[in-house]
Amino acid sequence: METLRYFLPQCWFIILALFLLLYVMLDGFDLGVGILSLTSSDEERRGILMTSLSNIWDANETWLVLMGGSLFGAFPLAYGTILSALYIPIFIMVFGFIFRGVAFEFREQANRKFFWNIAFGTGSFAAALGQGFALGAVLSGISVDQAGHFIGGTWDWLTWQSVLVALTLIQGYVLIGSTYLIWKTSGELQEIHYGTAKLAAWTTLIGAVFITVSTPIFYESARARLFEPPLVYIFAAIPFVGVFLIAQLLRSLNRKEDRAPFVWTILLFVFTFLGLGLIVFPYIIPTQITIYEAAADPSSLVIMIIFIGFLIPVMLFYNLYQYIVFRGKVSGGQYGE
Amino acid sequence: MDFLSDTVVLSRMQFAVTAIFHILWPVLTTGMGIYLVIVEGLWLKTKNPDYYLHARFWSKFYVLNFGIGVATGIPMEFQFGTNWAPFSEAVGNFFGSVIGFEASWAFMLEAAFLGIMLFGWERVNPAIHFMSTILVAVGANLSTVFILIANSWMQTPAGVELVNGKFVVTDYFRALFNPFWLNSVSHMFFATLETSLFVIGGISAWYILNRRHEAFFAKSFKIVLAAAIAVAPFQIYLGHTSGEQVQHYQPSKLAAMEAQWETTPAGQPADWSVIAIPNDKAEKNDFEVTIPNALGYILEFRKELTRPVIGLKDIKSDERPHAVGLIYYAFRTMIAIGFFLAALMGLTVVQWLRGKLSTDAIADQKWLMRIWLFSAPLGYVAVESGWIVRCVGRQPWSVYGQIRTADSVSNVPASNVLTSLLGFTAVYALLLIATLYFGSRIVRKGPDLGLPIPGTEVTKPAIDTSPGEFVPDERPVEAQQ
Repeated sequence: METLRYFLPQCWFIILALFLLLYVMLDGFDLGVGILSLTSSDEERRGILMTSLSNIWDANETWLVLMGGSLFGAFPLAYGTILSALYIPIFIMVFGFIFRGVAFEFREQANRKFFWNIAFGTGSFAAALGQGFALGAVLSGISVDQAGHFIGGTWDWLTWQSVLVALTLIQGYVLIGSTYLIWKTSGELQEIHYGTAKLAAWTTLIGAVFITVSTPIFYESARARLFEPPLVYIFAAIPFVGVFLIAQLLRSLNRKEDRAPFVWTILLFVFTFLGLGLIVFPYIIPTQITIYEAAADPSSLVIMIIFIGFLIPVMLFYNLYQYIVFRGKVSGGQYGE
Repeated sequence: MDFLSDTVVLSRMQFAVTAIFHILWPVLTTGMGIYLVIVEGLWLKTKNPDYYLHARFWSKFYVLNFGIGVATGIPMEFQFGTNWAPFSEAVGNFFGSVIGFEASWAFMLEAAFLGIMLFGWERVNPAIHFMSTILVAVGANLSTVFILIANSWMQTPAGVELVNGKFVVTDYFRALFNPFWLNSVSHMFFATLETSLFVIGGISAWYILNRRHEAFFAKSFKIVLAAAIAVAPFQIYLGHTSGEQVQHYQPSKLAAMEAQWETTPAGQPADWSVIAIPNDKAEKNDFEVTIPNALGYILEFRKELTRPVIGLKDIKSDERPHAVGLIYYAFRTMIAIGFFLAALMGLTVVQWLRGKLSTDAIADQKWLMRIWLFSAPLGYVAVESGWIVRCVGRQPWSVYGQIRTADSVSNVPASNVLTSLLGFTAVYALLLIATLYFGSRIVRKGPDLGLPIPGTEVTKPAIDTSPGEFVPDERPVEAQQ
């Protein structure tokens, strides 16, 4: 029984991390393309950008809904505390989602597309911004009482770290969005996004360096744990692997490769995420509440593993299937082969 | 304006506003999903291209509503955490996992196959496409199942034990299959179907009235009518059994629904009020029109009640709902619409049997078509009224009899909630207007009857796998070698 008390929350920590990672990668390029659409003055380009997402945006967003629902069930305490502490960033994100989500169909229908173009671009930007603030705030800590309930102020989330994380996350989304477009488009459009990808790769790198350098400083418990063997070896390797991946990414961009930039960016995301996971574990609200304290009853966790856990391969399969159905480049607001 | 600084009131208003608006969109998509399965199935079976064109035409409304349903639904989930953190913590063991099931079983299925359903006509073969349409409908309706199970558990919490302010699940399957679940899931399933049928019927009637593609829309009108024969009466029956359950499990809700202030003991008849002005302060109805002895017939099909109906006066003031008038009239609105739609169905079937709905005669049924057009929004009104009865009637509890709504609210400043409430109200109102605007444009534009029908045009498969016809070789034998 005692091992279950540790094993089950750890399982759910990993499952939630997987959902979040899938979300950040998939909706990451989705939101990134949205942000990139703000830089477009050309209606046709915007049409292609949105067509490249039209069949997948809601499935991509559903990973977050799934992550939220699973967090609610697996770590109810954390769900309530984190979301009520982050009231403002969460609603920035939510309103962003609303505007960008409805823009897909309304823009298609409207004669005058200007308003919905703006809604799509700024909505995507706001969603990414809200997520960045939320992530930054969780990493830099939430004030809670003994029982784990939020006791801080309503603007606690707004710190220089959260601003830094938000800006870096937006750069990351623009990067993965650009490489997605390199993969899905051709010609002049592809050419533009080699440029945006390169720029975003550098800005992401700068942000990431700042965060990496400042993390052990503002985050004492992480320092204590991460600078002890065996984690120190893994942790020390992360910056090197990160630099290697960025170098590979830039190389593939210079060589104008079609898919490699997207793959390298995905690897970069996976790796960054692994680093974050190592820093956060075993906390769900960093340095305050561990996953063991916030976890739901073992019986609930088991039921959820049965009903959700075993469905993960199925969900991955049919998501993959629809990417296969819609493979190929997008052109002129239509899917071509 | 005290409520402007009351987080409880504002959070309740926000949940009500977001829920009342949000439900408008998925109600149509869940019900219409089934309709799309029917027309696509008919197309595959009969090969009549009209059914294919119906699938293409009505799915325009599907996609218009679906995106907004997704976008407005996300705040519903996040609100449990942002505005109802203590509730989330208390119910997480059960309620939270059901929300997780909904996302993994229902939302993901619907979202992943919707792309193929909408844009995949040319990319997958008809069987895979049909399967996608079915899976989209299954996904949409599974979300009805899960969300109604979750809400039913809030009404009749079973299989759990409240320990230190948190529900511990003692029997997971009793919690899932709590007393209300089956009736509530069925009632909502038929509500989405009935609403969608009357929307499709109403729009079809509009075309018939305007003599545009009458023959084409007579088809959808008759499909709707045939389905409504089963759906409309059965929905009334489900309403009745839901009422029986409320009488048994939630006496305070029943008392408010019927504005009964005095208790009627078992073995006695009770009057049923048709119209009343409930006065919550004086604990009586200021004005009332009643049908003598009717309540017993309505609840139990007999004059004398076998079970008592508790009056509001006999329930502690802090354990019963106070918006009696709202609950009372919402309930009556729902019932009136339920019977009206069933009667309209009956009347139309009579005309159908008399042969008045044949393709060349249907456009002469002007009044009938006008009533159908008028009835298109009624299903929505009934759904909203029903949910008001269900959730306002549950007050002051968030989990009936166990946790109070007032104790479920997050520790966030009222000004935050007020800001988000105003934001939601403005944005959702805009979305509703936009939906009506773009929806009516789709209607005015009409179906694109010139669409190429898959399987009939020149795009032949590269390798012809159909068995070849035997062509006798008539060359001389020597040349055949």
